[in-house]
Amino acid sequence: MSTASEPAAAGHAAVEPSAAPQAGAVKLTMILSGAVFALMMVFGLIMRAAQGQWIELDPALFYQILTAHGAGMVGTAALSGAAILWYFSGRHVVLTAGIFWAFLGLFLLGVVLILGAIFVGGYGGAWTFLFPLPALSGGAWEAGAAAAFMLGYVSIGVGFLLYYLELGRQIHARYGSLARALGWNLILGREDKNPPPPTIVAAAAVTIFNSIGIILGAAVLVASLVHLLVPGFEVDALLAKNLIYFFGHVFINASIYMAVTAVYEILPEYTGRPWKSNRLFAIAWNAVLIFVMAVYWHHLLQDVVMPPWMLVVGQLVSYFSGIPLIAVTAFSTFLYVRGSRMTWDLASSLLVLSVAGWSVGSIPASIDGMISVNKVMHNTMWVPGHFHTYLLLGEVAMAFGFMAWLVRGKTISQMGGLDRAAFVTYLAGAAGFVTVFLFSGAASIPRRWAVHYEEWLTHDRIGTLFSVLVVLGTMVFVLRFVARLGRSGD
Amino acid sequence: MQPVVLLISLILMAALTAAFWLAARASRGEAPGPKANSKRTGLIWAMTIAGVIISVGSLRQWPHALASTGDALEVHVSGGQWWWDIDTTEIPAGTPVNFNVTTEDVTHGMGIYDSGLTLLTQVQAIPGYTTKVTYTFTEPGTYQVLCMEFCGVAHHDMVNEFEVVAAEE
Repeated sequence: MSTASEPAAAGHAAVEPSAAPQAGAVKLTMILSGAVFALMMVFGLIMRAAQGQWIELDPALFYQILTAHGAGMVGTAALSGAAILWYFSGRHVVLTAGIFWAFLGLFLLGVVLILGAIFVGGYGGAWTFLFPLPALSGGAWEAGAAAAFMLGYVSIGVGFLLYYLELGRQIHARYGSLARALGWNLILGREDKNPPPPTIVAAAAVTIFNSIGIILGAAVLVASLVHLLVPGFEVDALLAKNLIYFFGHVFINASIYMAVTAVYEILPEYTGRPWKSNRLFAIAWNAVLIFVMAVYWHHLLQDVVMPPWMLVVGQLVSYFSGIPLIAVTAFSTFLYVRGSRMTWDLASSLLVLSVAGWSVGSIPASIDGMISVNKVMHNTMWVPGHFHTYLLLGEVAMAFGFMAWLVRGKTISQMGGLDRAAFVTYLAGAAGFVTVFLFSGAASIPRRWAVHYEEWLTHDRIGTLFSVLVVLGTMVFVLRFVARLGRSGD
Repeated sequence: MQPVVLLISLILMAALTAAFWLAARASRGEAPGPKANSKRTGLIWAMTIAGVIISVGSLRQWPHALASTGDALEVHVSGGQWWWDIDTTEIPAGTPVNFNVTTEDVTHGMGIYDSGLTLLTQVQAIPGYTTKVTYTFTEPGTYQVLCMEFCGVAHHDMVNEFEVVAAEE
């Protein structure tokens, strides 16, 4: 990883984004991502307002919105992360455009199936489709709706597998092996005249762990679908839960690890210091490859029939996975920024914010990963508190930063008045929103409750006000992106 | 425990936020010196040592340890969409209680709340399994069992209660 000892490159020459291969497909994907992010945030606002009893919402509809919000946010985080990774991987390897279009088509087919299952079929079993809940709705939805929801996931999963197959294939063709692309030569001290750049190291790692996650997710989806058709076909609920959380944890983390390539590729344009792979960087990414897959047990810390060693691993890896994030990614960001004379426009501000949000969000997550703490925090509002921190202020900020960079023009200039207002509004809204969640978790308020007790309403109402700010900031980011794309004729 | 967890979290989060804020402000300042990477090495070691100490300290006594059956009161709790059935309505304070938890349909979460709506402990109820958790109540009063795992359209209605009574002298 380069440090301040490297001389800063002269000037702040910008790479013309539209010159990148498949920029049009990526920009379309970012329009879709921005629009869905905004819609899902409105869903979040509606749920907080309903919990605060400022609006009336039938519990069945609340849980449908909850399901759409969860699936929609996770899916869109992954979609935007995939677009970012595809865009920047295209600087280093030649990727087939048709594969990206097939990926996007399968993703949209999945979205149609999921939205139909929820808002036509009434499915409200949460994005986690915890076995056997999809088959046992208590009369709220039919088996067909649950099947459509899960087939939507299957469609999205097939699209992602195609995406990773192409990415892995082209990385292998360019670098000879995934091991070399993971920086093993750097780790082992072997000479490598063409070491993989950070984006390729990230792409290789994500290709491996998210492909494994999606395949295991497909296994439990198929088993759940068969169970819907043939109720006598039983699946061990604990095994299914392990598979679901492995898939879910890996998938949402992959979205951040794909999107962080925007930081690797864009920030150097501002700091004049290229983000390079070195031994520590490669070790960190190889640790991430293992940690992402080994840490999912922290979702099952209250499933006390699990083998104790798995729960211990879940706690340990929850903590130690913070080291590559804070001591490598965050620390490197400090070094790149310090003394760089960088220009703080909307793109660079959001990208630095995204590393901060991701890192800061890992703290309450790691603390909740302690078994003794988890006993009184699991499935309280503490959980959305920490994951909204590293998604809203992390992955989503990365996506918005990338979007701002795509349309920033050929010169870099300081933030204008509207950009500054939108940035401050989004930051204040998101920071307040997640802080209220953490206070609510500490007050033992359970998550995913459509109806709240009187004692909890103050939390909900303050959270609602902050979520209004998040929506406002997001609207400006997305509309600004679309308007500038239109102005530039893209 | 929750207020302490919140306080520690907020302090650490504020410290890291301040580090980012200072780094952003330092973009106009001096470039990092040659010792920057040794600071990183120090940070890695500090985080590693802290992690070992925290891990050993928090796991030395197994958090899911159960009271031995000879000393504890056994209470059976079964759940279903959307009810809790508790086979004991009055529990003596000061006696360890082993809650044996089952479910008749989907996964639920049995969370025990005191009268001030503070979560005291919880355990998941998993189809096909009996899960156990031990808790010793110190204060008499009315306690509630709330569902902590999303289980369908009336998840929020899945509430029951029991009494903890003063131990007989």
